[in-house]
Amino acid sequence: MLSKIYNWIDCRIGLTELIRKEFREYYVPKDVSLWSTLGFVTLIAFLIQALTGIFLLTYYIPHPDHAFSSIQNIMNRIPYGWLFRSMHIVGANLLMIILFLHIVFVFYRAGYKKPRELNWLTGAIMFLIVLLFCVTGYLLPWTQLSYWSTTILTSIPTILPGIGEYISRFIKGGEFVTGVTLTRFFAFHVAFLPFILVVLILLHVFLIWRTGFSSLYDDPGICQKAELYMGRPQYKDGKPFYPDFFNKYMQMTFVYLIVMFFIITFKPGLFLTEYAYVKADPLSTPLLIRPPWYFLAPYSMIRMIPNKFLGISIQLILLLLFIIWPFVDIKEEKNIRKRPILLGLFTVAILVWVFLTIWGRF
Amino acid sequence: MRYIMFLLFFLSLIEPLHADYRDLFQRQFIDKPWGGAPIVREGVCIDCHTSKIMKADYLKIPQEWKMSIHYKNKVSCHDCHGGDPDDAAVSCGTPHSGFVGTPKYKDVPELCGKCHVGILKNYLTSGHGKALKSRGEGPNCVTCHGAHNTQKASIEIINDVRCTKCHTYERARTMKQALFVVEKKITELENQLTDMKKSGAITEDIEKALFRTTAEFRTIFHTVDVNLVKAKTGEYSSKLSLIENDLKKIIEEYQFRRNFSAFLLVLFTIMGILVYINQKK
Repeated sequence: MLSKIYNWIDCRIGLTELIRKEFREYYVPKDVSLWSTLGFVTLIAFLIQALTGIFLLTYYIPHPDHAFSSIQNIMNRIPYGWLFRSMHIVGANLLMIILFLHIVFVFYRAGYKKPRELNWLTGAIMFLIVLLFCVTGYLLPWTQLSYWSTTILTSIPTILPGIGEYISRFIKGGEFVTGVTLTRFFAFHVAFLPFILVVLILLHVFLIWRTGFSSLYDDPGICQKAELYMGRPQYKDGKPFYPDFFNKYMQMTFVYLIVMFFIITFKPGLFLTEYAYVKADPLSTPLLIRPPWYFLAPYSMIRMIPNKFLGISIQLILLLLFIIWPFVDIKEEKNIRKRPILLGLFTVAILVWVFLTIWGRF
Repeated sequence: MRYIMFLLFFLSLIEPLHADYRDLFQRQFIDKPWGGAPIVREGVCIDCHTSKIMKADYLKIPQEWKMSIHYKNKVSCHDCHGGDPDDAAVSCGTPHSGFVGTPKYKDVPELCGKCHVGILKNYLTSGHGKALKSRGEGPNCVTCHGAHNTQKASIEIINDVRCTKCHTYERARTMKQALFVVEKKITELENQLTDMKKSGAITEDIEKALFRTTAEFRTIFHTVDVNLVKAKTGEYSSKLSLIENDLKKIIEEYQFRRNFSAFLLVLFTIMGILVYINQKK
């Protein structure tokens, strides 16, 4: 029966030929490793977030009077609601971890160099979109943690002179974090951002398909000088995408799921604090409140630099540099180990980020 | 020009609707506690009690209140002292507003009894209450619980330092022993409830039941009648057992979740291993 259905489809769209050409006969470079699978795992993580999010959307009520109780219902009264929400919370944090690792790996392997500048550009924008997902999603449970973290985060733009106050008010929909902010964030989280993200994912996948896997064995000179599309690079001495590399994808996907369920089983509150179980109270500021861990580094930087405007300016410049990096680093050499200055800067940047994140905890 | 005129005409139609919408929006989304309107109405009381015009002794009151169980439960100044928290002249200036600054020693129980009705009733029948009302000498509420920094009551309030101010500790010790079994159970349940709340469980109904039972039991204690407390211990122990059973169901549910999640963890681990072995082949 199944083979009949397959044949029916194959006869019309040439599925067998597509699989043979794009998977079995497509060879990935021999220097790909498990690290190269992080992009695919990120995609799986996105899908898990989307599916669990749709489930939560069925029961969530985006109103300050009901948001917290609807989350409580999901966690306690809806059958297996706790499972979907736990997956959504843990998944969001794991997604950030994988994204960070993916970016670090792509940078290390110089995967942003010609002809892959657009891959980096779309990826960098997607990273920002994911951060916006996190910010908007964080408020939705309407807990003390979400309310006050959002209050801190939305007050950061006020540092900017002139327009800062306006930006902050625009984000919050008023002077304080209120029901208006909740509605606004909800709309962004479930409608506006997913639409942009899906478009960017499709574009990113399309670009990867057209430019192929990056390898250190690519001849950088040829790539740099090419004025016409060179076609997807062929690595005849590499490994077939299917089944060799596809197996690696599967392995890493299971590692992701294992880590996720390890946390849900043994440390379900790892990414939450006690304030995550208390309804938001605008007049009762908790003693210890800080943004989620992935925002701790920029948060610490702003705290550390006495001149707040300088602090936020540095961050905006770093952010811009991050986005346009492929157009800044135009050297031919792809192997970062042969570029000690860049390697040094890269290592220092990671160490500073880790230090600021840990420091932000205190 | 035609387009501009049309646009202006269109906007003139929109604006009144928009204005209505803004009013509605203001009421539904802004004029709410989560919209910035205060929940605990501190009002003018705090303004004066933190200003230079206030006597030094009274300046510490706001800080003490903010550390109390009353503050946590959103009980504000005017709930006990009366008056209008929005108008100092009405609050402090005229007795007609019902404002009572510092109540007379004898009248304190009635002030607290506005909310703690059952306790007031039993207290007045007790030796403590009778002594206060007849001679003005017995302990009143603040003797044991404090005035503004009132903390959650516990069995530790009964101690030799406090009780021996007026009489020997023997009778109080017997009372403490009689209370011990039920109070211990209450503390255990409260701790378990706190843990479950930290896990995100809905414990509202159980909390209410426990609060009710605890309050009833402590109301009886205010009669300072050891025999009555002993007689009621069994009754309250069985009430607490019912609450414990409800709590156990929630704990079991959380245990199930852990097991189910562990099952998925094992399942994905096996699948991952199979994929790995398959690749090695």
